[in-house]
Amino acid sequence: METSGKKHRLKLDPRTDILLLILANVVAFTQRSLWVEIAWVVLLLLLIIACGCEKAAGKLTAAFGICLVLQYFIFPNGPKFLAASFTFLVSYARRIFPCLIVGTLILQKTPVRELMVALRKWHIPQSLIIPLSVTVRYFPALKEETGYIRDAMKLRNIRGIQKLECLLIPMMISATTTAEELSAAAVTRGIENPAPKTSMIVMRFGIHDYIFLVIGVVFCVISMMVR
Amino acid sequence: MIQIKDVSFEYEKAQGTLSHINLEIRQGECVLLCGESGCGKTTVTKLINGLIPHFEEDGTLSGETTVNGKCVAETEMYQLAELVGSVFQNPKSQFFNIDSDSEITFGLENAGVAPQEIKKRFDATVNALKIQSLLGRNIFSMSGGEKQSLAFASVYAMNPSVFVLDEPTANLDADAIETLRQQIVQIKKEGRTVIIAEHRLYFLMDLIDRAIFLKNGKIEQIFTAEAFRRISDKQRVEMGMRSLVCPKLELKEASPSGTATGLSVERLTCAFDKQPVFRDVSFSVEPGEVLGIIGHNGAGKTTLTRCLCGLFKESRGTVRMKGKALNAKQRNKLSFCVMQDVNHQLFSDSVWGECELALWDCPEERVREILEAFDLLDFKDRHPMALSGGQKQRLAVATALLSDKQLLVFDEPTSGLDYHRMREVSHMIQKIKEEKRIIIIVSHDFEFLSQVCDSIFDMREPRTERS
Amino acid sequence: MSNVRTDKKLKGKDLITIGIFSAIYFVINFIFMLCGGIHPIMWMLMPGFIAVFAGIPFMLMVAKVQKTGAVFLMGFITGLIYFATGQFTVVILIFMVISCGLAEISRYVSKYNSFKGNALSYLFFSYGMVGSPLPIWLFKEAFLSQIQEQGMPADYVSAVEALSSNSMLIVLFVAPAIGAVIGIFIGKALFKKHFEKAGIV
Repeated sequence: METSGKKHRLKLDPRTDILLLILANVVAFTQRSLWVEIAWVVLLLLLIIACGCEKAAGKLTAAFGICLVLQYFIFPNGPKFLAASFTFLVSYARRIFPCLIVGTLILQKTPVRELMVALRKWHIPQSLIIPLSVTVRYFPALKEETGYIRDAMKLRNIRGIQKLECLLIPMMISATTTAEELSAAAVTRGIENPAPKTSMIVMRFGIHDYIFLVIGVVFCVISMMVR
Repeated sequence: MIQIKDVSFEYEKAQGTLSHINLEIRQGECVLLCGESGCGKTTVTKLINGLIPHFEEDGTLSGETTVNGKCVAETEMYQLAELVGSVFQNPKSQFFNIDSDSEITFGLENAGVAPQEIKKRFDATVNALKIQSLLGRNIFSMSGGEKQSLAFASVYAMNPSVFVLDEPTANLDADAIETLRQQIVQIKKEGRTVIIAEHRLYFLMDLIDRAIFLKNGKIEQIFTAEAFRRISDKQRVEMGMRSLVCPKLELKEASPSGTATGLSVERLTCAFDKQPVFRDVSFSVEPGEVLGIIGHNGAGKTTLTRCLCGLFKESRGTVRMKGKALNAKQRNKLSFCVMQDVNHQLFSDSVWGECELALWDCPEERVREILEAFDLLDFKDRHPMALSGGQKQRLAVATALLSDKQLLVFDEPTSGLDYHRMREVSHMIQKIKEEKRIIIIVSHDFEFLSQVCDSIFDMREPRTERS
Repeated sequence: MSNVRTDKKLKGKDLITIGIFSAIYFVINFIFMLCGGIHPIMWMLMPGFIAVFAGIPFMLMVAKVQKTGAVFLMGFITGLIYFATGQFTVVILIFMVISCGLAEISRYVSKYNSFKGNALSYLFFSYGMVGSPLPIWLFKEAFLSQIQEQGMPADYVSAVEALSSNSMLIVLFVAPAIGAVIGIFIGKALFKKHFEKAGIV
């Protein structure tokens, strides 16, 4: 444990997060050896523990363990219908496990704004970054909205299949008005400015970023070699 | 300096036509645009911030508007953005990011300002507007007032010389209005031009230099600050304007709990994740009585209304109707809430259909009678979403009466309404009163409350239990 | 009414509109993605289910943004968010790109405001999610050899093989088409019943 109160945690550059995710994908779809897989998963779990996602790491470890147990003990010996239906899901889950781990890290520890800045640094066009950030921003708004509409439906005693229509219509209409109002606000704050975008956040690759990227690349190579 | 020279504008679909507007606003002046809804004051603000003609594409414009010598129609929106900053009415739909810090720097990042300069502007904004408490927060956890304050800050950070505020207080409580007032004082001190379109006027009286009264898309009269303050009460009601002085509330307090004929709320306590939102709330309301509920943001007004309507379970206390204790589910059957945003509670494809949805075997005469009473019968085939705000509100109330709800709760029914529309709402409430229903109104609008309520319940802020 | 705009480039308002409807599309998509976890059959039918329900946000967006790139962005955003959360893979992204490309072409050819063109575009668009269960077939060999190595009984292997048979592959590819047709008709009905009457499109 660290000395006191605030622990000094590893903080990866958001660009490293994204690159690791791509590497994790490559490894997931090339590797054929159980030991490479386990080593890669353990390593990534250690990484997210170092970054401060202890709880999530615990859950993921348990889930990975369950997958292995299911595949190696339960499916071969248990009832056949179970194995027949779930083998694919479980093997698939296992395969994308490294991606899930990195995804968890991104979801929990990387603020949306940093991801956007990272994308800008890579010169991803604004016409992609703008709708993407609006999408992410609209998720919590949708949640709020459905809360209100649900309340309203309870007050009106609406039941059954009608519910779906009653949920969708106000939601769509409110989406249209929000699009209108949000655009007005964004346009008056210069969102259409062609100038290259800047940011207050300073982003720099640290030594740990390089270390992890190198490890990732090494695993890619290994997983392609080891059959 | 802003010059509007003989500008006329006509929307293809919406209302808000302007005809032959001539206006000159000096640098550093604070100008109020006032008048009834639909008089064209919002349209004037759009001439200045460039939304007309750049954003509103279906409309015809003639005449010329210039800001600091630049012709608005020929300047790109993003160039105007550096000159003119805009704050809009709805706090929910003005922010682009999830966290407050990004929102403040949003405009500067768009303009491609150097990182050190952004940091400098950021700090200057935080200090000048005293918004330390807003930093590093999730915007979705903020109150309407805080969101509006943040919107103001994000505009301020861009350092525009002109501020255009379009009904910024429509959804704010008294405290938030005071914060906004302070912020306007600050920008005025810095010599910036302020153009504000508003219904609520009292907080602006000592800030404005001129007031421009619009009617039907024309400038009817221009007042100096002095002359505007001297407008008599009778005259301002004729002009359809809200109170010029901070309205006071002088009504009797709500009667204590224990009524056997109406609604009795007894030591009601609600908690979110074991954190009490409010505790030990007690009062009574009789049928045919109108009770107003006031209190600061965060005092738990919304939670109280949800709890009374059976949408949220109390953690302690009892709610009785005519002496009989009711659980949440039973309350849900008896009550209706007209939400602040009525758009969420209209579901059908016509006004008539909306009424049938309320009670499917309802006799036709009854529907007719109710629609007639609420001036909606002529619109019976319209789509509810194509109605005006006031009509939507009345339709929601009509559905509640049709389904025979005993308890009606209104959540901020007058936000953003001018004097006449506010009067319409109070007439509507008078009508429900005659039907001997129990009416509870949650509102910040003291002018309105003092017109319709019989008694008032003040929700004091929850005592914070921190050691 | 056809209002032909000279400017066909996506502007701020268009981008924001796309972003908002993509959020709604993603949520609908995600709900059925979760259902796909119940049973592999659900997973294979998932693109079809999504197609039934996602027609409304798609049609509204297409009506609001009659310009090149709107559909492409919607698909790309969906793929990207799935990718960033690590739940899905490059396969999904590739499929999204191809189906959105076809969807854009059919919109371009039909000049953006024809119902038939938009309907066809939606049909193509619905194939984007096929990339999700497709690894079942893509990695079939690897899976089967793996379970054989594990020494599973032969009837078990054949049960697994049946699930990943070619006829199931056909089901996977027919479902979105049927779903999309239903989705379009639901969308059209709601347009007539609500959105046009309410004056929002």
